[in-house]
Amino acid sequence: MSAFYPFIVIGLFTGSVYGLAAMGVVLTYKTVGVFNLAYGAVAMFCAYTYWELHDHWGITAWLAMPILFLVVAPILGLILEGLYRPLAGLSAEVLIVVSLGILAALGALVPIIYGSQDRQLQAIFPTKTFVLGSHLHVGYDQMGTLVVSLSMAALLWALLRHTKFGTSTRAVVDNPDLADMIGVHGDNVRRAAWILSTFFAALVGIMISPRQGLDIYQLVLVVIYCFAPAVLGRLVSLPLAYIGGLILGIIGSILSKYSNSGTVANLEAAFPYLSLFVLLVVLGPRLKEVGTATRRLAVAAVAAPGKKKSGASATLFAIGQGRWRVGVDRNLTLGLVGFVLAILVPLAVPGPRLLIIIGGVIYALIALTLVVLTGWAGQISLAQFSFVGVGAFTAGHLAGSHGQHFLFAVLIGMLLSAPLAVVVGLASLRLSGLYLALATLAFALVMDTIVFNRTDVSGGLTGISVPRPQIFGISFTGRIALYELVVVIFGLIAVAAYALRAGPMGRRLHILRDSPLAASTLGVNLTVTKLVVFTACAMVAALGGSFYGAWTQAITPLDFMWTASLELLLLVVLGGRAVISGAIIAGSVVATQALPFIPVEVNKILALTIALGVIGLAQEPEGTARMTARQTMHVLAVMKPLPKRYRNTLGLPAPSGAVPDPPVDRRVPAPAGSGEGVSSHVA
Amino acid sequence: MSPDPLAPDPVLSAEDVSVKFGGLSALANVSLQVPSGRIVALIGPNGAGKTTMFNVLTGLQETTTGRVRFNGADISGWPTYRRGRAGIARTFQRLALFTRLSVSDNLVASWESSHRGGVFGRGRSLRQERVHQVMELLNLWPIADRLAGELSTGQGRMVELGRALCTDPHVLLLDEPGSGLDVKETAAFCDVLRTVVRGPSAPAVLLVEHDMTLVMEVCSALTVLDFGKVIACGSPEEIRNDELVRAAYLGDVSVA
Repeated sequence: MSAFYPFIVIGLFTGSVYGLAAMGVVLTYKTVGVFNLAYGAVAMFCAYTYWELHDHWGITAWLAMPILFLVVAPILGLILEGLYRPLAGLSAEVLIVVSLGILAALGALVPIIYGSQDRQLQAIFPTKTFVLGSHLHVGYDQMGTLVVSLSMAALLWALLRHTKFGTSTRAVVDNPDLADMIGVHGDNVRRAAWILSTFFAALVGIMISPRQGLDIYQLVLVVIYCFAPAVLGRLVSLPLAYIGGLILGIIGSILSKYSNSGTVANLEAAFPYLSLFVLLVVLGPRLKEVGTATRRLAVAAVAAPGKKKSGASATLFAIGQGRWRVGVDRNLTLGLVGFVLAILVPLAVPGPRLLIIIGGVIYALIALTLVVLTGWAGQISLAQFSFVGVGAFTAGHLAGSHGQHFLFAVLIGMLLSAPLAVVVGLASLRLSGLYLALATLAFALVMDTIVFNRTDVSGGLTGISVPRPQIFGISFTGRIALYELVVVIFGLIAVAAYALRAGPMGRRLHILRDSPLAASTLGVNLTVTKLVVFTACAMVAALGGSFYGAWTQAITPLDFMWTASLELLLLVVLGGRAVISGAIIAGSVVATQALPFIPVEVNKILALTIALGVIGLAQEPEGTARMTARQTMHVLAVMKPLPKRYRNTLGLPAPSGAVPDPPVDRRVPAPAGSGEGVSSHVA
Repeated sequence: MSPDPLAPDPVLSAEDVSVKFGGLSALANVSLQVPSGRIVALIGPNGAGKTTMFNVLTGLQETTTGRVRFNGADISGWPTYRRGRAGIARTFQRLALFTRLSVSDNLVASWESSHRGGVFGRGRSLRQERVHQVMELLNLWPIADRLAGELSTGQGRMVELGRALCTDPHVLLLDEPGSGLDVKETAAFCDVLRTVVRGPSAPAVLLVEHDMTLVMEVCSALTVLDFGKVIACGSPEEIRNDELVRAAYLGDVSVA
């Protein structure tokens, strides 16, 4: 036992920071109903700011800290509060998307503001050590961290327990509208919660960074560790979250004692994510989503005057009798035209830039699986690229070093991804909304650390190579041939998805999303339906992965990290998560790198623009797809021939310049007969 | 307290059902019969366990003890969807519509969930026929293309009823269909309900309702729950004169 003693003490030090972060996450969740997935990014932003103030500008810590904690953190907290206020009561999906958008925005902002070179934050406490007990060397910084963290936890506890702020918070959590009515200023309570939470994030940021190194994604990742303790407290209990953090630190520290060999080291690294996944699945149905009381009210409020909005979605979702047939024909025509144009692209772009466009098409194919899974079936997945990785590495090993047929490799990749998808699918039976998103995130991280990190799987950081396919005697080594192949595959799968959507399966996905409970009483087997959807999407993603490998010809684990899945979700939201054209837009954004004039600096701005666009479009299931369709219709409306009736009233064909504009209903994209159904069914 | 001796065989029955949530006993040895072709009601004050009973019957809630029988077969172990396909349909106290589908699609989705086929040929015409029939019956044509999410509560209750009917149920469980409805809407709902139970293949109905006028008007038998226990069961006449029920629930309301 005494052998473990030092590890326990060291675990306490790291654990105390996790505990602090977990409390910060829980705080906003229980007061505002927002689970801030961007919490690590907030901490990272604060750490960078402190580095800029202290290490770069040379401001003394006695001044830099007050600036950070009393100015920067509160302002950041208020900005976050302002971003989330209009979203109160919206679905978990919207809130998750927004928090991921914030994560990406902060991640894009930091290189723009502070530059992207490597840097090291000086420790805020002296790093000298003292001897504890007989032979345990403890750093003053570790001790300092523990003391700060414990006192902060105690302060927060006292604040919530013994002050008016505490009771107001509980009232606001319970029922915000009622709290407002009895005189609690809900907005102020929420602001205070955001400020406190950001304050904690800043603390976490400057306490972790000296040891971890200052890196954009490293800190985000460390804060994901603390999601497990937060879930242990069911996202509402601050003490449990803190204690959970301590336990996680201790277990991690003890595991590190054995982590010399490869597999164990992987397990140690995966432990926080594994425990997050397991905790979520075990606690499953007992996890409640905070803020449902407001949710209903807000939805009612939106629905009442929502004529404009609902009218638009009415055409979108009217899959019923009669009407959709028109839509199908029109969309198929549109799709066919698009397909022919896509086939002809190599004529216009024959050079190496075509390669980047191939990447865009493959990306669109992968994005399509997320449209079906998240946009249609309402199952949020932050692990789609893990399945892509399975497909890619399988193709690399089988078609590459083992010399098997490429199609065989693709098939095996798809089959391998199926059981993994079943694991996620089974989790989805017990979880939904936020908790499902967290579980898929944990799954992606487990795949990263346990599977893709293994050199025998992925070849380590150098990666492995994947050959270009050779199918039925036709070689797809050339870029034009490869391009045509992936376009045809994308076209086939898009048509399949489209047909699926218009039929019973599409309705089933919808009802699965709107009210799973009611669906099951009508005879829908939720288990089978969810597993089928998850598996099908994962298998297509794996198919996309094989071609992704064949496209780049060299793949590394970095290609399929959790950040890739996150990026995918953001791009799909940007494009439009409920329409097939959303996937095409996502692919196009990736392919914009093919444009001849984009320098690196612009790419940074582009990343920020995408992130901000995602935050803005989070509530719009059709994303930019809808907007572009609407704009196109507006433009086309000008060129539309005048209606007959109109000419008749004028008596004679007037010269076109003299004719006043035809009455165009602004709410509808275009008058019935020409435009109806196009924008709504550009799926 | 005696059940009607002339009642036909029960299509759905609960036998000695108990449900405990931790230490709290939500239902204690409750038995209940729904005879085919009849409308029976389950009444009681809020928190008496009525909705829990519905959840037990539809398989959304596991029982601590007791059994559920359907057409004579023990279905206690059946999952919810199997009961739905077999012919137990329900509505929800708090509307659970498919808000992003149109009203007609709500019905179509319901038919498809409970039947095989329906995409091509004969299945499709069967589907259309049934959906049209239900739309006609419940007068849903005027709102056929509206999104279910933007309906009023009254319309929503009708759609839920229609959705349940599209599964061709043997027994229909209605959870407070009158709540949130005004007098006129309630009357309309009563009329519709009477039409629904007419005809040879009409479902039996189990109704949870607070509106005593509605209950007394349409039901042939009632079961009264209080704190998870059956305190009375019998015809509307018997219930109205039952001292226990008056004390627990009806109060001094004298129903004509």
